[in-house]
Parts: sequence; C-alpha cells; structure tokens
Amino acid sequence: MSAPTVSLLLMLPALLLLASVFLYPLLRYGWLSLQASSVLTGLVPVPNGGANWGRLLDDARFWTDAGQTLRFALCSVSLELLGGLALALLLHRPLRGRGPLRALTLLPWALPTTVMALGWRWILNDPHGPINAAIRSLGGSSYGFLSTPATTWFFVVLADVWKTMPFVALLLLAGLQTIPVDLEEALRLEGASRLQILRRLTLPLLVPYLTLALLFRLAQALGVFDLIQVLTGGGPAGSTESLALYAYLNAMRFLDFGYASTVMLATFLLLLVSLGGGWLLLRRHGQGHATERAA
Amino acid sequence: MAARPPFSSLRRQPAVVGLLAVLLLLLLSATGQKALQAVAAEPVPIRVLMPAPLADAVAGPVARFNASGSGVAVEVIRGPLDTETISDLAISSLLLGEAPFDLLLVDVSWLPKYVAAGWFVPLERWFGPEVLEAMEPGARLGNGLGEHLWRMPLTGDTGLLYWRTDLMPRPPRDTSELVAISRDLQRHGRVRWGYLWQGRQYEGLSCVMVEMLQGFGARWWDDATARTQLDSPQAVAAAAWLDGLLRDGVSPRAVANYAENDALQSFAAGEAAFLRNWPYAWREIEKGDGPVKGKVGVTAMVGAPGEQGGGTLGTWGLSLIKGSPHPEEAVAVIRWLTGPVVQRQLALEQGYAPTWSALYDDPDLQRRAPMLAVQRQALQHPQLRPPTPAYAQLSDLLARQVNGMLTGQGGPEQTMGTAQRQSLQVLRSLAGPPGSGPADP
Repeated sequence: MSAPTVSLLLMLPALLLLASVFLYPLLRYGWLSLQASSVLTGLVPVPNGGANWGRLLDDARFWTDAGQTLRFALCSVSLELLGGLALALLLHRPLRGRGPLRALTLLPWALPTTVMALGWRWILNDPHGPINAAIRSLGGSSYGFLSTPATTWFFVVLADVWKTMPFVALLLLAGLQTIPVDLEEALRLEGASRLQILRRLTLPLLVPYLTLALLFRLAQALGVFDLIQVLTGGGPAGSTESLALYAYLNAMRFLDFGYASTVMLATFLLLLVSLGGGWLLLRRHGQGHATERAA
Repeated sequence: MAARPPFSSLRRQPAVVGLLAVLLLLLLSATGQKALQAVAAEPVPIRVLMPAPLADAVAGPVARFNASGSGVAVEVIRGPLDTETISDLAISSLLLGEAPFDLLLVDVSWLPKYVAAGWFVPLERWFGPEVLEAMEPGARLGNGLGEHLWRMPLTGDTGLLYWRTDLMPRPPRDTSELVAISRDLQRHGRVRWGYLWQGRQYEGLSCVMVEMLQGFGARWWDDATARTQLDSPQAVAAAAWLDGLLRDGVSPRAVANYAENDALQSFAAGEAAFLRNWPYAWREIEKGDGPVKGKVGVTAMVGAPGEQGGGTLGTWGLSLIKGSPHPEEAVAVIRWLTGPVVQRQLALEQGYAPTWSALYDDPDLQRRAPMLAVQRQALQHPQLRPPTPAYAQLSDLLARQVNGMLTGQGGPEQTMGTAQRQSLQVLRSLAGPPGSGPADP
C-alpha cells in the first residue's frame, strides 16, 4: 500500500465520525428546508417547492435578526480580542502571584453561561438588583436596564465580553510564550521602544493565535443562544433576538421544522461567509514571514 | 481480545449463586404479598401542569379532593406564570415523548396546534354532546376540532370593556361613542386619557386585533378557504381606528408598550376613562384602596356602529395527554376539576367566569359575584382566535406588524397588506402544495 492510501485509511474513522456529526445534520437541514414539516402536515415532511426560501427572503424578522446577530458578534468579538490581548500581555509579565492571578481571570470562562446570565439578570433587575439599589440609595430612581433596547444590547455585549475574554487571553498567552525571549532582547538592545516591539515583533508573531481566537469566538458569537435566551429572551421588542433564537422559536414554539431548518441553514451560510472574511482579513495582515515562522 | 461470557466468574461458584437465589426467593415471598396490598391501596397519581396563578387558585379544592379517598392523588405542577412560557415548557416535554404529566391546562389559542401534533386523546368517549350543551354558548367554543372533543373548559373568560361609572351615566354602545365620550372628558380635564389597551408586540395585541376586526365586520381567518383576510377594507378600517386612538391622543403613545398589567395599573390609578382587559382585572381594582375603587363598571366589548362587537375568548380547559398510564382516573380528575364545585369557587375567589349555565342562574352566586351577568352577556358573542394549527405564527406576525404601525413605522393599509402577504407566505411554507397534508390529524 502506498503512503497516501495508508494515511487515508488511518484518517477514515475520524472522517466517518465527522461526517456523522457534521455532514449528516447539514444535509438533513438542507433536505428539510425544502419541505413543509409543520403542524399543518402533521409533522410529516412534504415537499413545498422552495416556499421556505421564498418566505425567508421576504421575512423582515430574519433579516433584522441577521443584522442584530452580526452586530453583536462583531462588537463583542473585537472587544474580546482587544481586551484579551491586554490581559494576556499583563499576565505574561513577571508579576508577584501570577499563578493565582491567571487562575482567577479564568473564572468567568469556567462558569456555565446560563448561571452567569441569570446572575447578570439579577444584577440588572429593576428595581431589586444591586445596581438599582445603589442608584436608589444615592437618591435616584431605579432604571429598567433590560427594558430599553440600547441598554439591553449594551449589557448583552458586556456579559459576553466578560465571560469569554479570559478564553481569548488564555489562547494569546499560550502564543506569547512561544515567542523567543532573545528576539525581544535583541530588539531592545537595538533601542526599540516597547510599542515598537509590540508592533513589529509580538503582534506579527501572535497572528496565528489571534486568527484562532477570532475564528473560535466568531463562530460562537454568531450562534449565540443561551446567553440571550436567559438574559433577555430576545427582548425588549425583539431588539436582541439572534438567529439561533429565531430558529429555536420556529422549531419549539411554532413546531415549524421546515422553516426552522431553513433559518438554521441560512445562518450556517452566513457563518461560513463571516468566518471566511475574518480569516482572509487576518491572513493578509499577518503577512507571509510571521505566519511561516510561528506556524 | 478473547470474549468472556458474562457472569463467568459466578458460574465457577455455584454455591454463591444458589445462596443468592434462595435469598431472593425468601425476600419475594416475605414481602411480595404486602407489596401487592400496598400498591392496591396506594392512590393513583395524576399530574396536572397548570400556569402558577390557576394552580394556586385550585389548590384548595385539590387538597379536598385528595383527602376524599377517591383513590386518586392529584398533583398540580405549578408551571411558569406566562402563557407562552408554559406552552414552551409543555411542548419540550411532549416533543420528547413521555410527558411527565397526565393532564395539561390548555389555553384556547394552543388547542389546534397541540391537536395537529397528535398529543391529546379525544374525550367524547367520556363526555357526550349533552355535557357541552349545559354550558354557555361561548364556553362551548374552542374545545372541539374536526369530529372530536379535545378539551373540557374550566374557565369562560373573554376580553371585557371597563368603564368609569363616576364619569359617565352609561357605557358606550360602539367605538364612535367610546371615542366621543373620551374626547369630551379629556377636553374638560376630567381624565388624562380616554382608552387604555394592550399594544405591546405580544399575544395580547392579537387579542385586541381579534376584537377590533370582528367589531369592524372584518375576519382574520376564513375557515372555508383556510386563508387569512387581513387586507380587506374592513380590516384596514379596524387597524386605522386603533392607529387613530394614538394619533388623536385618546390613548397614550405608551400603549404601544402596554401589556395587560401596565394598562390595568394606569387605569386603576384613575388616569383613564376606559380599559380593555380580562375578568381578573375587576378583582384587582376592587381589592385595593385605589382612587377608582367602586367606580368601575364592566361591559361586553363594543364594535363599530351597526356591527356586533365581542370580546376575545380566553378560556382555559383540561386536555388528556396521549400516553397517560391512567386515562380513566385522569378523566375523573377532569370531570371533577371542571365541575360546578370548583368553578363556583374560582368565580367567588378569583373572578374567573364559569362555563356552566346553571352557575349563572344560581341566585347566591349572582349576589356574591357581581361580574357574573356581564360575563354571561360576553359569552353570547365571543370571538375565537383563528382555529388553525398555524395560529402561533400568524399571531406573531400580525402583532409585529400592528405594533410597528403603532410606533409609526407604516400606515394601516400598508401594515395590513404586509401582514396579509406574510401570512399567506407562512401558510404556503407550512402546508406544502394544496391537498398534500393529511385531512384529519
């Protein structure tokens, strides 16, 4: 047997596993999106000639949710990358008690999202939450943080950043530790400032790690469900509804599995385009030499 | 790896196996008899899922039923408060098969969806047609679908119009009078707002729309064609009337964000002449010490001049879940929970409208539940929400469109046109080509 055949054979079990958990559901979504499968058909799939896709194009709610999901993902992921980078640089420096500090920053990431979202809901509760209690003790009147679209959106992003920044920091910290110390010392001897070292050495060498963090986080943020379901339920007035939540509603509340699959598949295509875009962007910025060196 | 037969180590030790067998036999013979007796005496558990307020309301009667030694132990599961949330909870259980409850308290708007999904057992085996005939006309609606009876109604609630007895001698007869009285009172500074209702983007707004569509001679749903008719001139007129209430200041702009309770609080504080709400609101107003206590009258929902108005039917009833291990006992629980004893108590303590005509004729109840006459009147011409399994979606998109109109995102004609177009798209995508769905679920 030739080498390629052997390697293919060795990869076969993994490929089969991937196909069964990724490819099969995807194909099934594709098939279901071309069917009516709802209470009107007794939950039995019946081909409906692409009516689901026609409906999707005219469904203002889908496009509103798509815009909201993209906006949420872009804002929270950029903040997480910036914050995570700062945190990683801080934790990389020789500090006293660095070990416990590193463990401590990971805490929000370790919490289950549902628990953390419930916590935030309580913090923001009107009028009993601690923030409103503080406002009232200062003589103000309590504020409905989760009943105004703008503040609700802000806190959804904040909660997401708070939870996942440690994850980004961890990835980048691992990247920082692969950068040889002598390179940095050499630059310093040449008289480079800290900012110059960061821009010319650290960031280019971190690009593969930044790419990884970006792809992971973007994929998760575009599929955001649990945080929003628990914190706001998509409200107020649908202003924080994400695509995943809309698909869930279609399946679980409306029992419309055909259209729910269509929404899921459309979300998947959106995800693919966004991830491709993010990847290309970072690749171009990272330039050949840095990626080759670190990779 | 060589396969090893199971229990191979035991096979090598017959003494141990023998000892175990003897012990097992001893245990069985000693306790078996007793265990069987215990099972026979143990009451059959029947679990009922209800929204929390109704679960609390029936807690007293349920405790008495369990103590009566009927051989059935009713366990009421307190579900979430919100109607949508409790439906989500029930559906997640039902989709997985094996629901952890035998009976479900079903809102009238869920029934077609649940029936189409095949989750209920028809009840006509236990309840003949004469049972429903002993109920008020409105209470009979929304329980049957096709040839079957799927639900026994527990409450006969409809949307009602509340008015201030201190501000006017009699309630308005139609929508024009309602606006005229409101503007007159507002002009003279007697009251800040005319009419408060539910304009938030949720099911409550759909209930308001059902009433207004009916009141303007329009139809949301045409049973014969199984299509919506939201873009008819009458339907546009109904939407335009609601839009005009905000435009002319008869209702506050904030109505676009009002649910039942927001509207009730404002009305109870004396800020308006009229309120649209369910029967429970009357108790809420009367039990406090608010400025309008004792100054509130209730009447059936009005329509446009010359049209028959009517309140939206918002009844709850019990349905039997398919796969319940004890259908006979569960039906006994339905019979008792929806019976006159419990309904009488719900009317007295919580103000829920009964379904049995006999209760409305009861002089004692008439005296102690002053709303009874109006509730009976409202049950003569109630409005059913479109009885289609697709209702949840149709309602969702109509409420979204109308709320958009109320917040200034489009005129009545455009709003209703879009709602109609989207409704037809939803129905097409739900149903597949005509005639492909099963005729009778």
